[in-house]
Amino acid sequence: MNENPKYEEALAQLETIVRKMEQNEYNIDELAAQLKAAQQLIKFCKDKLTKTEEELQKINAEANL
Amino acid sequence: MSEHYTLRQLNLLVREAIEETLPDEYWVEAELSECRENSGHCYMELIEKDEHSNTPVARASAKCWRQTWQMTKPYFERTTGQLLRAGMKVLVKVYAQFHEAYGFSWIISDIDPTYTLGDMARKRQEIIRQLKEEGIFDLQRELRIPTFAKRIAVISAQNAAGYGDFCRQLEDNDYSFRFEVTLFPAVMQGEQVEQSVINALNSIYERIHDYDVVCILRGGGATADLSGFDTLALAENVAQFPLPIITGIGHDRDESILDMVANTKVKTPTAAAALLIDNLLRILERLDDASQRISNAVNQRISSQKIKIASMTSLIPTLTLRMVGDQRHRIDTIGNRLPIAIERRLTNQKHLLESLSIKLQGFDPQLLLSRGYSITLKDGRAVRDPKQLKPGDEIETRLEKGNITSIVK
Repeated sequence: MNENPKYEEALAQLETIVRKMEQNEYNIDELAAQLKAAQQLIKFCKDKLTKTEEELQKINAEANL
Repeated sequence: MSEHYTLRQLNLLVREAIEETLPDEYWVEAELSECRENSGHCYMELIEKDEHSNTPVARASAKCWRQTWQMTKPYFERTTGQLLRAGMKVLVKVYAQFHEAYGFSWIISDIDPTYTLGDMARKRQEIIRQLKEEGIFDLQRELRIPTFAKRIAVISAQNAAGYGDFCRQLEDNDYSFRFEVTLFPAVMQGEQVEQSVINALNSIYERIHDYDVVCILRGGGATADLSGFDTLALAENVAQFPLPIITGIGHDRDESILDMVANTKVKTPTAAAALLIDNLLRILERLDDASQRISNAVNQRISSQKIKIASMTSLIPTLTLRMVGDQRHRIDTIGNRLPIAIERRLTNQKHLLESLSIKLQGFDPQLLLSRGYSITLKDGRAVRDPKQLKPGDEIETRLEKGNITSIVK
């Protein structure tokens, strides 16, 4: 289960940011920076998923040979 | 009375009297108390016993001349399966002969073997009745030939063709079965059969745990005297023997009593061997069948597992990719909440600012001026109390549409 700890961490961080956004826990001054951080986490997670997907397809293709 | 006869003269008178009074042939039933062949002739001793006391009540010698004997003997043996011998009941056709030198004798001109056959059958019935009365007639048939019967004790004549056939048949079986055959030699014809076979059974009994089954075999050779197999003592021994006994004593007439009490009877030694091979073949077939079924079951199990694995394998790509897809969806969902949250936050702030600006507008002095109020200033500051002013001060009054400068009096 620990194969992808960074992904899980990133996801947790992202969720924290979004939750705080929704509950108005940030100062307006912080908003832009937090939004930027959130976008970076989203990109990181999506990249990770894409990479994982490619790897899985490759492994499946090898198994079917 | 000085006249007397010589013995010969007197005997001749007897002969004459007999030939005159007994000119015919007669069928007579009697028991043989002696019977022997000599120079192709057969010499017998006929006897009649008292039915109850068993003591002889009549006795006479009888002869069967070669010419007749050559015809009647084979017929008798073929019909009864037995040699003419002492103790037998016979029905013979005789005529009387008194020879002055050799004395009285019945001369046999024919023998009816069916009478002897009937008598033998009666005796056999008597033996069977006795065996049943003793409760041992069916004992052997309650035994079972063991599943793996391989150690065979054989009672047979040492050099009998039948025994050779039996051994060859066992050795040459098509299935590579190995039998262990031990021969217990015995006399298999004539009057010694009974004691000889009983002795052999006793020898086997001493090593009974070394054997699975007993075969009593006789075959080949002349059609011989089988009467030895029809005795009470032998039947009792066979019936009560603890191992199953197979008989192959080869004769096509009625069963012998030995056959009746044995566990299994077959016609020939070869058939006995075939039976033993079949017995092992049955277990071989059961084993083959079992191993076939095991391998079928295993194969079935393996192939069902293969199908299971294959179907799971085919699911893996879908499942793993779906997991990735789910995660992607989750990220998107979370990501989508961001602009909404930010938008709402900014909107709130805007509203706040707006309401603040409205509140602020209420404080604009121009609004008061336009309603006709005016503000008095001195040195640029609003005058709220006349005490702030003294005569001669210059004040400025702000109106909606302009300013007035005045001097206080």
